Amino acid sequence: MDITEQKSGGATVLQFSGRLDGTNSATTDTKLADAVGRNPALVLDLAALDYISSAGLRVLLKAAKQAQTARQKLVLAGLQPSVKQVFEISGFSTLFLTFPNRDAALASLK
Amino acid sequence: MLTCAEELLLLAHDEKSGQFANLQDLLMNTALAGAVLMDLALANRLDTDLNSLVLLDRSPTGEKLLDFALTSVGTLPKKTTTLDALDVLRKQGDELERLGIARLIERGILKEQEGRILWVFESRRYPLIDGKELREVKRRIADLLLSDDIPDPRDIVIIALAQACGLLSRVFSESELRSAQDRIDQLAKMDLIGQAMTDMMVELNAALTKLMPYG
Repeated sequence: MDITEQKSGGATVLQFSGRLDGTNSATTDTKLADAVGRNPALVLDLAALDYISSAGLRVLLKAAKQAQTARQKLVLAGLQPSVKQVFEISGFSTLFLTFPNRDAALASLK
Repeated sequence: MLTCAEELLLLAHDEKSGQFANLQDLLMNTALAGAVLMDLALANRLDTDLNSLVLLDRSPTGEKLLDFALTSVGTLPKKTTTLDALDVLRKQGDELERLGIARLIERGILKEQEGRILWVFESRRYPLIDGKELREVKRRIADLLLSDDIPDPRDIVIIALAQACGLLSRVFSESELRSAQDRIDQLAKMDLIGQAMTDMMVELNAALTKLMPYG
């Protein structure tokens, strides 16, 4: 699993690629907690995320809670159909604002 | 911090009688199996998705209950299903319950009292020592259900377990439960192990109902 960070206007985009599961959830959790702590507006671009497990969902849940507590914005973009299905079945789609792509997500933060 | 399985046992504990809720053994065993799987997932010993369960790490957690469960799940193929793991563990439900109660006693939350009913039958009670931990679990559940806050992963687990076992009525009145039902449903399905456990309990309950048509 790779995460790359880019600035775009006043927001920060974290681009995820690969699989987010129990084998990398601890390191992803640390990276994401750090990014949420530093950025008032964050887009998680999941367009290249192929797979998410329960452990991966927990990582995103903790980030969403951290952002809510700090009154920061965190939105998701570009969910692939398989990831979107997991979000819908688990009800995670009700927790996050999701957008079809990065540009739409960035526009929502302006 | 208590394990999810210990929190489930506490919620199922009846303060007046010092006994545990009169749930069908089959259902309580399934709920305990779900609880320990959720604990093992939170301890990063296993991971699940919509179809499978993968054992990630066989190293002991230091909790006897969880390590007993980890050994049992370890007898399954490395990649299996959540339902298979629940099935293996629920069949050892009595041992899960015994280890969970023993840990609550060890933590100083319950005490064990031997007694007799009608001076003949031996009975064992587990009175709460001061009830602080049970009040804390109930308060956490109430705070979560009465707010729109994003839950943390442990909160989701306890809601899923309490909902599956019908134990939320120990925290809320009927009318409160009705008004919180959407929120309960939203949170309870967020844990994929919880979803599989609930499906299994519904099936077991249907099978029990068929066996006892006049029950």
